[in-house]
Amino acid sequence: MHSLVLDIAGTLSSAANLFVVAAGLTLVFGAMRIINMAHGSFYMYGAFAVTTVLGVSAGWRFWLAMLAGAAVAAAAGLIVEVTVIRRLYDAEHLTQLLATYAVLLIFADIAQRVWGTGYRTVTPPAVLASGIDVAGVQVPRYELFVICAGVLVGVALWVMLARTRFGWLLRAAVQDPESIATAGINLTRLRTGVFVLGAFLAGLGGALTAPLQSIAPGMDASIIVSVFIVVTIGGLGSVPGAAIGALIIGLAQTLGAEFFASWAASLIYLIMIVVLAIRPWGLLGVPER
Amino acid sequence: MSHRQSAPPRHWWLAVLAACALLAACSTSSASSAGSGSTVTVGESTVLSGSIAELGQSGLQGVQLAVADLNAHGGLLGKKIKVVSADSQATPATGAANVKNMILQDHVVALFGPVSSAVAAAEEQLAGEYKVPIFFHTSNDISLMGSNFNPYAFQVVPNTDMEPRAAALYLDSEVKAGKIKTPIALGTFAPDYSFGQDSVAGFIAALKYYHVPYKLVSQQWPSLEATDISPNLSALLAAKPSVVYNAQFGGDLVAFVKQAAPYGFFKKTTMISMLNTAELATLGSSSPAGSIAYDRAPWFAMNEPGVTAFATEYHAKYHQWPDTWAVLAYTSVQVWAYGVKHAGTFDAGKVSTAIAGASIPTIRGTITIRACDHQAEVPEYVGTVASSPSPQTGFPLWAAGSAFTAPFSKIALSCAQMKAMQK
Amino acid sequence: MHTDLFAISAEHDQPQSTRRPGQPAAGMVAAAVVVLLLALAGLVWSPEALANLQEALGLVLFAVATNLLLGYGGLVSFAQAAFYGIGAYGIAIGWLHGQLPFWLGAAAGIAASAVAAVVVGAISLRTRRLYFALLTLAFTQLFFVVADNQGGFTNGATGIFGAMVPTWLAEPQGGYYFTLAVVVIVTLACYAIVVSPFGLTLKAIRDNRERAEALGVNVFRHQLAAFVISAVGCAIAGCLFAIYSQSASPDLLSWTNSGEPIFMAVLGGMNTFLGPAAGAIVYFYAHLYLTEHISDWQLVLGFLLLVIVLFKPSGLAGIMADLSRAAGRLRGRTGGRA
Repeated sequence: MHSLVLDIAGTLSSAANLFVVAAGLTLVFGAMRIINMAHGSFYMYGAFAVTTVLGVSAGWRFWLAMLAGAAVAAAAGLIVEVTVIRRLYDAEHLTQLLATYAVLLIFADIAQRVWGTGYRTVTPPAVLASGIDVAGVQVPRYELFVICAGVLVGVALWVMLARTRFGWLLRAAVQDPESIATAGINLTRLRTGVFVLGAFLAGLGGALTAPLQSIAPGMDASIIVSVFIVVTIGGLGSVPGAAIGALIIGLAQTLGAEFFASWAASLIYLIMIVVLAIRPWGLLGVPER
Repeated sequence: MSHRQSAPPRHWWLAVLAACALLAACSTSSASSAGSGSTVTVGESTVLSGSIAELGQSGLQGVQLAVADLNAHGGLLGKKIKVVSADSQATPATGAANVKNMILQDHVVALFGPVSSAVAAAEEQLAGEYKVPIFFHTSNDISLMGSNFNPYAFQVVPNTDMEPRAAALYLDSEVKAGKIKTPIALGTFAPDYSFGQDSVAGFIAALKYYHVPYKLVSQQWPSLEATDISPNLSALLAAKPSVVYNAQFGGDLVAFVKQAAPYGFFKKTTMISMLNTAELATLGSSSPAGSIAYDRAPWFAMNEPGVTAFATEYHAKYHQWPDTWAVLAYTSVQVWAYGVKHAGTFDAGKVSTAIAGASIPTIRGTITIRACDHQAEVPEYVGTVASSPSPQTGFPLWAAGSAFTAPFSKIALSCAQMKAMQK
Repeated sequence: MHTDLFAISAEHDQPQSTRRPGQPAAGMVAAAVVVLLLALAGLVWSPEALANLQEALGLVLFAVATNLLLGYGGLVSFAQAAFYGIGAYGIAIGWLHGQLPFWLGAAAGIAASAVAAVVVGAISLRTRRLYFALLTLAFTQLFFVVADNQGGFTNGATGIFGAMVPTWLAEPQGGYYFTLAVVVIVTLACYAIVVSPFGLTLKAIRDNRERAEALGVNVFRHQLAAFVISAVGCAIAGCLFAIYSQSASPDLLSWTNSGEPIFMAVLGGMNTFLGPAAGAIVYFYAHLYLTEHISDWQLVLGFLLLVIVLFKPSGLAGIMADLSRAAGRLRGRTGGRA
């Protein structure tokens, strides 16, 4: 007898995690036309930072660790923006890809120096550690927490984009960059802010899902491929697109593991190929400016 | 950017190439000569980083301990032994490159095996090509002594047919005792490479052989050392298995247990897996009580005085209990040393001939290396994880009285069967 | 109208009159001297050094073939590792399942790569720039999954290891000379393509796609042809790898392996024909040296890549150009004639 509840819970929590990370990447691209290969590194740093703050036991320190993870990633983002990204704004995308790949290599090495080459696990606090009974099946509370967190982040992003000055500037940067330049806005600060926000979201994603996986070197490269797919399917620069993309990929990952056995890993790539073959700029993306 | 760029000088090529020639000359350092003089070198290229690093590190430590003990007694044939090691990163190409270096530059006279059977197959191929004896003490895919067999390879652990057979035998006894209901709703969760695939195949074949009624409800194949197994876990649980055969090991298995627990997995499902000393120590009170565990050399359940002494000494020295892999690696060095002593030389062919068919005293008792496939005639051990910590170790071991030894004769393939594979 | 082997083709090509006469011929002579030196090295160097050089030469071809698409086509693709891997697996699978001689397996691998390139290119080239790059990444990962999972066919994650080439090829000298010969021949073929009308059209498309279209060029077909030619070159390089290592494993097809020839091309100078070759040699030996002597080699490699990409994107060729300009100014100051 098959459990639909677990399928749904698994899909939604995968999707929530992917959305939080992908939203950061797509915002950065939309506002600044920068594709950042090191986005996965921020994700990994967020997760590793959590392990450092938590040590062995969880508890109230857990919430602190979540914020610390996102903050560490944001700080890393700030450093990267000031030193590297600033020089890439008008560069060819090959230059962007290579430069950010170099950042990925550097960050990977630093991570191995700081946190070693082994793996780590963290346990959620007791209030979230057990399961909750849903229609006769036990669903881990932490999975439900991740889903709620994903929704909250989505809502917060929507509010920020629609209602705050920063969000308004960001949307203007996406849709009409010339108007920003002529309006006397401090473009440098805006760009730094967007990039740091992107890194914060990536780190938050890493921190949130730390209890749901092993934290080890190599996390950066493996997440970046899934996130690229989500962002490309949804359309570069579109946050709602990232949400849709995350749902599709989350579904593909869960159903793939159930029904496709050894072909499961290929499903997400097939989906990306099909979507782009039909709509070469993603579902909610715009044709290249 | 200036529009009036001039072309680079005509022969800038040569300058670059000359520089490279210099670099090349620097980097290809002359091989260190080992073997002449008073030392010989042995090597181990195994996984030393990532989620399964513990097995590699433990195995390497076992080799180093055994070599240190040999050296303390004058070495072998009057020569001291040196151990070189390298990280295979669980990647066959890297393991092969490491071994090639060890053979060509360090002139190793023996190799000791890695963790991943995929890496082992690649290293075995090179060992056969360059005629260096290689001893597997952790990787155990059946093809190593089957389709990939060469006369210089030796196996001291039960393979991927024997091990699941022992587990199936134990499961059968639990079923007959009424502890597990049939038909079993079987789920499998194994790393997606030769070892995982062959272990699962071996388990299912054994269930059929012992006539245990089962229904396969889910088969999951996460990658070895995959960090995120949640889709596979959700899929496995959604199928509601009553018994899960989990062929993961090391950090992967620990992560599985931690992530599956909040689903109430262990209350409803019996898991059969390779929960060894290191994993139980890491899990501590989170160890899944009642879960079935199999182990190739559990020092606490073997009743071998040599192993018990080894464990006590190890614990006194390192303040940690030895893992199975340290015990088995130590054993493999003892097998090699026996071959060298009885052949009177380090020559690969003579050492291999001396070992094949011999009965060799080791810390785990006297073991015989079967001549037809160089397989050690050793049993597999199965037990049930205890619900409370052992007073000796502080973490749960196996429930008293649950330890079961599956004898070699019952679980092994016959020589004829192995020979058929070796063609 | 020949492209100068060593000139940097700037955004605006130099007018004919300022080119020094006889330059292409001089470039050919220099290249011939290099090949002669390499041939001599085969007689003199130790087996270990030759094995390294053999591996490096394979990478030279990989980088040059990749640059056909990258530098001349202006297309950033992640698919070169897939074609490289298919080439290598051609030999390996042919040996494993069909006991095919290596050249037959290689032919099969190269043919399979070409077919795969047609499919991948036909679908991917309908998208632009970043979407194109990411789509080729998806295809490459797809091929990787097939190699990793289909154990019955490709032996899965274990890879295929074995004596898949005859002894004369497995020996250091035999393998080295074979590799050298193949690399020289295929590189010459690539050069012929680059200086042909097809190659010039490709550069025109790269420089200004709309103008080329307005002039009646079928951009899609040109780019697809370039994609397939580059793929064939990469497949041959993959075959050379299988000959060198007598193995094929799924890691050859991972997208990170695609980044290496791109890095080599940029390092050497992707706007020149042989820049990638120089980049490949320098990268190979630097990587060898670094991994042997520095444990933080990733850090060093990352920094080097960053510095080059940000500050000297024209690579080694660009550095050489600067040096020669500086030398020219010096000569001018001392009254000599350029």
